[in-house]
Amino acid sequence: MKFASRISAALLAAATLAFPLAAATADDVDLQALRDQVRLLEQQLKVLARKIEIKEETAAAAPAAPKVTVSDKGFALTSADGANSIKLRGLVQLDSRLFFNDGGGVVNNGFVLRRARIITEGTFAKNYSFQLVPEFGGSSVSILDANIGVAVSKAFQLKFGKFKVPVGHELLQSDSWTFFNERSIVTNLVPNRDLGIQASGDLLDGRLNYAAGIFGGLGDGGSSTNADFDNEKDFVARVFFSPFKNAAASPLQGLSFGVGGSIGREKTAAGRTSGYRTDGQQTFFAYNAATIADGPNWRVAPQVDFRSGAFGAIGEYVVSTVNVRPSATGVKTELQNTAWQVAAGYVLTGEDSSYNGVTPATNFDFAAGTWGAFELTARYASLEVDDAAFPLYAAAASNANQATSLGVGLNWYLSKAVAFKFDYYQTHFGFNAGAPASSTSQILRQDEKVFISRFQVSF
Amino acid sequence: MKLRHLLFPIIALTLATGAAAKSTELLNVSYDPTRELYVDFNKAFIAHWKATTGEDLTIKQSHGGSGKQARGVIDGLQADVVTLALAADIDAIYEHGKQLPQDWQKRLPDNSTPYTSTIVFLVRKGNPKGIKDWDDLVKPGVSVITPNPKTSGGARWNYLAAWAYAKHKQGTDQAAQAFVTALYKNVPVLDSGARGSTTTFVQREIGDVAISWENEAMLALKEFGREKFEIIMPSLSILAEPPVAVIDRVAKKKGTTAVATAYLEYLYSDEGQEIAARNFYRPRKPEIAAKYASTFPKLELVTIDGEFGGWAKAQKTHFADGGIFDEIYQNK
Repeated sequence: MKFASRISAALLAAATLAFPLAAATADDVDLQALRDQVRLLEQQLKVLARKIEIKEETAAAAPAAPKVTVSDKGFALTSADGANSIKLRGLVQLDSRLFFNDGGGVVNNGFVLRRARIITEGTFAKNYSFQLVPEFGGSSVSILDANIGVAVSKAFQLKFGKFKVPVGHELLQSDSWTFFNERSIVTNLVPNRDLGIQASGDLLDGRLNYAAGIFGGLGDGGSSTNADFDNEKDFVARVFFSPFKNAAASPLQGLSFGVGGSIGREKTAAGRTSGYRTDGQQTFFAYNAATIADGPNWRVAPQVDFRSGAFGAIGEYVVSTVNVRPSATGVKTELQNTAWQVAAGYVLTGEDSSYNGVTPATNFDFAAGTWGAFELTARYASLEVDDAAFPLYAAAASNANQATSLGVGLNWYLSKAVAFKFDYYQTHFGFNAGAPASSTSQILRQDEKVFISRFQVSF
Repeated sequence: MKLRHLLFPIIALTLATGAAAKSTELLNVSYDPTRELYVDFNKAFIAHWKATTGEDLTIKQSHGGSGKQARGVIDGLQADVVTLALAADIDAIYEHGKQLPQDWQKRLPDNSTPYTSTIVFLVRKGNPKGIKDWDDLVKPGVSVITPNPKTSGGARWNYLAAWAYAKHKQGTDQAAQAFVTALYKNVPVLDSGARGSTTTFVQREIGDVAISWENEAMLALKEFGREKFEIIMPSLSILAEPPVAVIDRVAKKKGTTAVATAYLEYLYSDEGQEIAARNFYRPRKPEIAAKYASTFPKLELVTIDGEFGGWAKAQKTHFADGGIFDEIYQNK
């Protein structure tokens, strides 16, 4: 019994001692299993995180696709790095012209497809650009602009081809964004588009813009064809200062002024110009058909532009001098014609007036009750032909030697791209002392009063 | 002077301005782990070029998975030179666009491979999973890190080294395929390039073993410390020969053929070979190799030509669309 008791006691003691040991071993095993499980889960979590990371890296490193942009500025296809692009834009202007009290007999009321252009522009290798603009409006198809640009730097850019000659301020503004449907009579005295080479650029942090070039040479208001085969060229230059452009607090921030000019020689086989036209696009002065240009010519055109919020104004003065003969062997005379204009606009709906047009805060949407932007405009302009032009170089009986024009207008911008423009112009004519009491030209017998309305899409 | 005479000064000014703005610039499109190598080498070559020609030179580097980089060049990346992980990738540049001649590999010594490397294992300190050779990589519970052979040249070397080991040990391609299949079952994530794979193993702490370029594994030890990682040399590996080539069409267009050629030739110079060795690439030049013998342990190496019949065949059999790797990975 004693032995059994001893054995039992010993077993009990052993069991008592052994139990915690066995329990401890089981705990360790469980703990290790848990640790392994946690490690495994941690690895799985890290793998998932890394897979997401790799997916993001791959997406970020993927070559960017070319960018396609369709907006009220046209259609553009741009390479991912922005170095190459091609843009398609357009301009359509349908005009209605209504003349009042013009004495009858002149068929001048009607509709005109004033401009219809498909504008293709592009950039290659970031620094090379081109522009091609055929004109389908008017009575014939022509190449309006066709030029190649080389951007050496912001301060020095070259342009080769056919494009606007940098003399007249209003003429250099886009056809879509002038205050009035028709540019002022001042534009009669500056060259339009010509073949040439031009250097231009921005200096002084953009406060000074310059352009200078050599062009084929044009008569007043003229545009070149696609060829210019003669030895006489014009040197043209323009500087335009915006001294307060970077002074945001200055009330003169929107003030710019400058001067454009041209100098050259010209010898033509026939009439020096195709005529000076009124706001209603009727010819009020033209040289005799036999008159030719022969000798030096020059122009000077000081100009100013001011923008302040909804208000905008431009002014320019042009002197154009030309040497003419009544025929190939006739006496040579230097004629000096002058013109000036002041025009202003105020955007009634508060948007900014700009050289690049008005951008409505909201587009016209009848259902939404938004009306786009409205702008009121006014202009006064005058052109005077040298008295010495009469009667040897131009007929006093059928030409005016002075035109003074007053215009008022209302522009309704339904969106940036779509606009209605309504203008009323009244032009008063003056005549040379040798002119008869009543001009032989029916349109000059009374003031020209014309209402021109336009529906325009420009993008 | 007539005004038209001003045309010529204007044109001359244009040309002069263009000439003044011109500067020589090379783009080296390389594979993933060579960043540090070419940072050092470019610095040396720019100094060498200036000293010998007086010309200033800028060298840009682009890195990524070798296959992906080759695709970039095929798609228009303007590389003057490529320094890729394997010849098949440069062959692809020839095949898709003929931007360099077919025999490009004959233009420089040693088949245009100025340095070599091999494939080793990088494990965590203490080698917790007891990795000693390729067989250990197919054991259950061993997580293996290697990049994607579809985009990474290094990954293709890894794959072929594993294949060669299995074939040597078991004798048949079927056995080798089964072995490689088992290995990829242990791969939890495929990076697109070798550097990404190193990041996964070293910085993201994923996996038990990374199959790695020798130079990349040595760099990891240098950068992150020998107290954290160890390199295991397998019993058999493969002689990896990363090739270099001038992309003739681009260099000709950019007028950089001479400098691009000199750039690659300089890799074979004493200085070029020293720089390669210092960046853990095995130099070709015997005297430089002898100098760095202690850095690079000897091991049995098979070659791509001897074992797989060359890169063209290996590429087509294993890595082309519908090849053995696709089969292996789809069945994973």
